[in-house]
Amino acid sequence: MDKLNIVGKSSFRVDGIDKISGRSIYPQDIKLKEMFHAVTLRSTVPHATFTLNTEKASKMSGVVKIFTAHDVTGKNEHGVLFKDHQVFMDRKINRIGDPLALVVAETLKEAKVAMKEIEVLYNELPGVFCPLEAMNEDAPKIHGDSNIIANMKLEKGTVDFSKCDVVVENTFKVPMVEHAFLQPESAVSYIEDDKLVVISSTQYPHWDRFELSLALGLKEENIKVLNAAVGGAFGGREDITSQIHVALATKTLKKPVKITYGREESFLAHSKRHPMTIRMKIGALKDGKITAMKNEILADSGAYASWAPSVLRKAMTHSTGPYEIENVKVNAKSVYTNNPFTGAMRGFGATQVAVGYEQIIDQLAEELGISTYEIREKNILRIGSKTGTSQTMYNSVPVDRCLEAVKKEMEIIKKKPVNKDMLTGYGIALSIYGTGYGNGFPDVSSNIAKINSDGKIEIFSGFTEVGQGAKTVMAQIASEVFNTSSSNIIINCEDTDKVPDSGTAAASRQTYNTGNAVKKSCEKLKDIILNLAQKELGLNNNIGLEVKDELVYLRTLPSMEITFKDLFSKYKDELSSKGKFVAQTTQMDDLSQGAPYWPYGFNALGVKVEIDPATGRINVVDGVFAQDVGRAINPRLVEGQMDGGFVMGLGYALYEDINLVDGEIKNRKFSSYIIPTAKDMPTLKKIIIEDPEETGPFGAKGIGESVTIPAAPAILNAIYDASKVRFTKLPVTPIEFMKKFGNKYD
Amino acid sequence: MNIQTVINGKKISVNVKNDMRLLDFLRDELELTGTKEGCSEGECGACTVLIDGSPVNSCLVMAFQIDGKEVVTIEALDEDGNLNIIKDTFLEEGAPQCGFCMPGMVLSAKGLLDQNSNPTRSDVKEAISGNLCRCTGYTTIEDAILKSAKKLGGKNG
Repeated sequence: MDKLNIVGKSSFRVDGIDKISGRSIYPQDIKLKEMFHAVTLRSTVPHATFTLNTEKASKMSGVVKIFTAHDVTGKNEHGVLFKDHQVFMDRKINRIGDPLALVVAETLKEAKVAMKEIEVLYNELPGVFCPLEAMNEDAPKIHGDSNIIANMKLEKGTVDFSKCDVVVENTFKVPMVEHAFLQPESAVSYIEDDKLVVISSTQYPHWDRFELSLALGLKEENIKVLNAAVGGAFGGREDITSQIHVALATKTLKKPVKITYGREESFLAHSKRHPMTIRMKIGALKDGKITAMKNEILADSGAYASWAPSVLRKAMTHSTGPYEIENVKVNAKSVYTNNPFTGAMRGFGATQVAVGYEQIIDQLAEELGISTYEIREKNILRIGSKTGTSQTMYNSVPVDRCLEAVKKEMEIIKKKPVNKDMLTGYGIALSIYGTGYGNGFPDVSSNIAKINSDGKIEIFSGFTEVGQGAKTVMAQIASEVFNTSSSNIIINCEDTDKVPDSGTAAASRQTYNTGNAVKKSCEKLKDIILNLAQKELGLNNNIGLEVKDELVYLRTLPSMEITFKDLFSKYKDELSSKGKFVAQTTQMDDLSQGAPYWPYGFNALGVKVEIDPATGRINVVDGVFAQDVGRAINPRLVEGQMDGGFVMGLGYALYEDINLVDGEIKNRKFSSYIIPTAKDMPTLKKIIIEDPEETGPFGAKGIGESVTIPAAPAILNAIYDASKVRFTKLPVTPIEFMKKFGNKYD
Repeated sequence: MNIQTVINGKKISVNVKNDMRLLDFLRDELELTGTKEGCSEGECGACTVLIDGSPVNSCLVMAFQIDGKEVVTIEALDEDGNLNIIKDTFLEEGAPQCGFCMPGMVLSAKGLLDQNSNPTRSDVKEAISGNLCRCTGYTTIEDAILKSAKKLGGKNG
């Protein structure tokens, strides 16, 4: 590959200084003239039919209108895979938090006061809150006549544990957890000319426009979605929340309307991570070679499907981990209950199963009497290996390099002094994550690259900056092609009227998919520029022409040059190019064999934990994290993802759990739902492993989700090392630790 | 009630409602929207401002309580230059991701560095332990604060 000038450098974030200075605009920061405020009335029971009486509330001071299901101007439904959500409920309440009505008033205070006066009469129905019970024939049904949303199987070879020398089994339970992005949901809408404009913080503005058009009964061309700054997402902003409500109010009232959720409502409104029960059985030969694995997965999708089949597919196909196993059998089910609905969250099913496969492989190593490194070295995917779906790993499979890097550093960490008052343990975990929507689904990104009248390069693509650094990455890719500083690239990504659809900021797909689209369009635009420059400079061909800093020059005679600006003045309409990229995946067969995702990213993590034997308090005190990135477009951004992904996984392992009682979230505040603080974060040594992916832009892969996966299992393995207690249920809070650790000596 | 206060170096005399939080006064009345609301219960620190130099959650303070006090928000003009050095260092260290916690983090950093010119990492962790961030793992923020201390120490010394 040619020498790279911009890619691989830690350019400053293009949105950095505005964010640091408080100048970035999130929807809650927007105030328009004559703007109404709206609040959402939500159900307080999990399963019921109901009647509403809004008469008294609608006469309250300042109230403009109270919207209910009757006021929905299009189809009263939405949803990412199935349209099982309602804009406002009119059939049946399926969970606590279902939207019943929207109170629009002149002030927020008036809206809140009036909402309390709406009378709701519930006719409660029996609910089902356990996914196992939800599969019973006589269980209350949430939608239709079965609660089973998806039932999938994967079969490769023939699983026969009698042929194994050692067999281990265990059942792992992972909790429902919350994205806890810092910026609660907010949306503002208004009318501009003939268009309905909706400003929100979303992971996918074009999809929001589509759902808005269906629910409002408007053509997509009459709706404009503007993505404001997004204060974290992690999957929690994929299902639409306030956008339809605010838009419906504006459409009807012809006035600007704003909705901003508080933290408790944010907990109620968006999806959660699927809790799963994962039963695993694994068998190996004496020499440590794993030959068979059988897994069963049961996921609770709560009251709505959201991405249930897709999350389940990812969990199922990733449940064999980054290992080559000849014989595999998996059954996976996802069911409706009356719990809060679950959907996309960082890792998308792959995070859950790693808690199982990375612990059971440690158990297997112990049974075999070999080290946790050796068992992994014997079984990891390498070039030419086949995954559980029989997909061939043909390039960029540096699992071995990740493992090796961690092994080396852990040797150093293990030599450091230990605190004798504490139980000390060391643990490692590997992980695998397949990029993209997968399974043959059209996974498309588009970009238009243009030269503007100032001679600057502009890119137009509907990707989303959720904090991961996509704007900076796309600017770096474009600037690499044009040999200019990334601060010279103008990024347009927020306005659905101006930019083509580039899919969700999800599935770790933006760097790979949209990065490829940006690169392709920029390379085409560069060719156009060279050909036009040849014409303008009167050359007999374009060989030896080069671009640098918005200028074309002849390398053999640099005084022969023309600026992009001069080219624009003459060839305005020609200086534009489209690029499109579609990820290559295939639909799997009935036994889930095929090539469902590409590319795959890998990592290895090693941690040292200290446990206070008196209190059960667990601290991660040291660690090393090796992450495969294909190629790092911006190493500092990569490291930022590694730190952030790790600490989210740490929260999953040690603190976080949505506490449900009959479908009600009891801990919907940051004082009761604990996420890690700076004091929980150890110094983590980060090692970026580069092994360029042939199909990636400059060899890059996405890592946004991959980085969160190994944290929980590595910590759990370290807890086992310290205490000899295997925790199969997350989170391992001090109480949970003491319960099992104390019992060990009883 | 009428209060006399100094906001970002500017003296103001203003009537505030008894039930108005400082956070709403800043965001709605003064349109200083750099101060963010993340939890409304003093747990996340996104609404951190400095009152007489100390970091405070502005969602837990009533507007009338700043009578006679000095408030600094992220929009403050940088009279001593410290704030700009901290902001620039946050950028250099790659501290922001989604950005929502940033103004609060920067002000907690300023509150610390104004009191302690040579903090340890443990001091830094303590100082930002009331500021939640879901994106960064805090490391780059801690690095930025430690590096700011060095730069400011250099400047002052």
